[in-house]
Amino acid sequence: MKRTAVLLPAVALAIAMGLSGCDIGGSAAPAADVEQLAPGADVTGSIIFWHGYGEDGAEVKTLTDVVIPAFEKLHPGVTVTPVQIPPGDMHQKLVTAAAAGSLPDIIRADIVTVPELAKLGTLVPLSQAMPDFQDFADTMYPGPLETNRYGDDYWGLPLDTNTKVVIYSEQGLEADGLDAVPATLDELKDAAENSKDGTYAFAEGGAGGWNLLPYIWSNGGDITDPDYTTADGYLNGPKSVEAIQMLVDLYKDGKLPGIILGGTGTGTWDGVPSGEYVSMVDGPWAMPVLQGAHPEVDFKTAPMFSGDGGSIGVVGGEDLVLTSQSENKPLAAEFLRYMLSKDAQLAMGEVGQLSAQSTLADDMSNLQPYYADFLTQLETAKPRPVTPQWAKIDDIFAKQIQLAFQGTISVQDALDEAVAQIDPLLAQG
Amino acid sequence: MTTGYPLLRSLQISFYNWSVVPTQVSKFIGLDNYIRALGDEQFWTGMVNAAVYLLLTVPATVAIGLFFATLLHARMPARALFRVLFYIPVVTSWVVVSLLFKYLFTTNDGAVNWFLTDFLHLTSESIPWLEQRWTALIAISALGVWKSVGWCLVVFLAALSGVREELYEAAALDGANAWQRFLHVTVPGIRGTLLFVLVLQVIGAFNVFPSVLLMTNGGPAGSTEVPLTYMYKQAFSFLDFGYGSAMSFILAIFIFVISFLQFRFFGEKKEVGS
Repeated sequence: MKRTAVLLPAVALAIAMGLSGCDIGGSAAPAADVEQLAPGADVTGSIIFWHGYGEDGAEVKTLTDVVIPAFEKLHPGVTVTPVQIPPGDMHQKLVTAAAAGSLPDIIRADIVTVPELAKLGTLVPLSQAMPDFQDFADTMYPGPLETNRYGDDYWGLPLDTNTKVVIYSEQGLEADGLDAVPATLDELKDAAENSKDGTYAFAEGGAGGWNLLPYIWSNGGDITDPDYTTADGYLNGPKSVEAIQMLVDLYKDGKLPGIILGGTGTGTWDGVPSGEYVSMVDGPWAMPVLQGAHPEVDFKTAPMFSGDGGSIGVVGGEDLVLTSQSENKPLAAEFLRYMLSKDAQLAMGEVGQLSAQSTLADDMSNLQPYYADFLTQLETAKPRPVTPQWAKIDDIFAKQIQLAFQGTISVQDALDEAVAQIDPLLAQG
Repeated sequence: MTTGYPLLRSLQISFYNWSVVPTQVSKFIGLDNYIRALGDEQFWTGMVNAAVYLLLTVPATVAIGLFFATLLHARMPARALFRVLFYIPVVTSWVVVSLLFKYLFTTNDGAVNWFLTDFLHLTSESIPWLEQRWTALIAISALGVWKSVGWCLVVFLAALSGVREELYEAAALDGANAWQRFLHVTVPGIRGTLLFVLVLQVIGAFNVFPSVLLMTNGGPAGSTEVPLTYMYKQAFSFLDFGYGSAMSFILAIFIFVISFLQFRFFGEKKEVGS
């Protein structure tokens, strides 16, 4: 009796809600003209800034002790409240806040989340709202700038960037009997095939786009067309297949460590210092950590292994975006401009944040000599496909490539299947 | 209200191509999400993995828990200490122990492989535990058993203290040995608790989540995905909340049926003999 008393209304409600079959939501007023955010406006009030700078590192300290106070000094009476969100929680936090309508005014967002947030209609199209947008865009490396494009607009500006290069040590070369670190994919293959027992010429810690796209691009392949409308003929094209085939062959011969399948084993940050792995492809953040932990090892950088497509790295980093919910967009825009100023970029550059402005390349290299190779790599580095569907695409990409590594299917079949699954997603935009 | 609203809301979401942001249209698609799930190979891989996890963990957990509960129920020195020791895994953080087990099962330098190759000499090759489906499920199940034995033990201990002492004495007088007394006095005496533990363990097995997320994240190639990790990925990584919700209802119905069958087959028999 009691059970039916609960069940009946529940079922009734479900039927009412479910079978009524009408679409819901979309109640917002039609988009008005984009509010113009001119530079130098008289700003007042306060804004909230979400970021994922490393909590215990120097980044948060520089932001809260140097950068924000300097901005507040320029504009007396305004307040910027920074909120640190652990990078691992950022995406979920953004989704929840977008659903609840409680996004902050300005966000330092991972580059891959920008098109997703733009599609959800939560961002201000900066290329329309900021009259000085193009001035900023002109200073940026093309790869990081591209990560802000969705549809006909740009929805953010690169705050900081990074890419990956080859990191190795002289001791590692010596241990494997190599004179120099491989410069091309062919040399890499050669070195891997001839590496001594117990050592590997290189290691990769995963099979996702972040790990493997540089090999595909450098070999002359690609994942999609330049407008991200199809993967057919790109991801399953001969050059992409060839790049993955080389890695799969090395793996099957025991010349590429199993950590590429996401399992366990010596991580690259342990294997390179110990000489087990001669080289790895990693970002600028690895350098201070490795040097700090292994002062006896001399870590060096070299460009990504090159091939028919050149030496192409993958773009990482964060963009600054303004939310359409913000009630103080002029102040948020002014703060965004300040974060992209030379003062702020250099201050953050000192604590490891690489500027995405090619015009600041020399200043950056002066701060840290090891930045130089990363900055050169950035000139040609490409972003992962800039589409709201990237998370799904990456999942499909990694899964099919893992199947090829396991030998379940051929590389060509795996990439054909990946294309078959990716193209319908790209069609959704 | 507090349980009803989220439940009904997610039921509603499961009928839509749900948009996270309320200002965007969520399109009603009827049962499409359910049909998609039933035809989704990856969803069924997840269900099979959960079933394997169930077979690897539930019998072992219940047996080990009951065995040590029986031992601890007897008067023995340092009983309280052992109870605490067995219960410690239950209160530890899933996150911490999942990472710990991940390191134990590391291919090249992991303690488990060291034990098997260098200590027991069972095999000369290191086993790539977390890089293949079945071995990874064994590793994840090992953690599952370790984590839940203590809980079973405590529940069984409570039940054992409810079995009347005279029954044991009577059985002993009839010449029953320890095993017979266990089988004919202890087991019937705690039948209700046994069923309760079994049902909760089965539900728990289908809801296995943090250990899989942290030890393999469903990989390689989705081969160790379980229903919850797959749903979580659909909802929070891909923003496909409608699909995630639909799968959660399919899983809930499935668990409901299994639990119902368990009660049906193991539940009401105690009247029969009495």
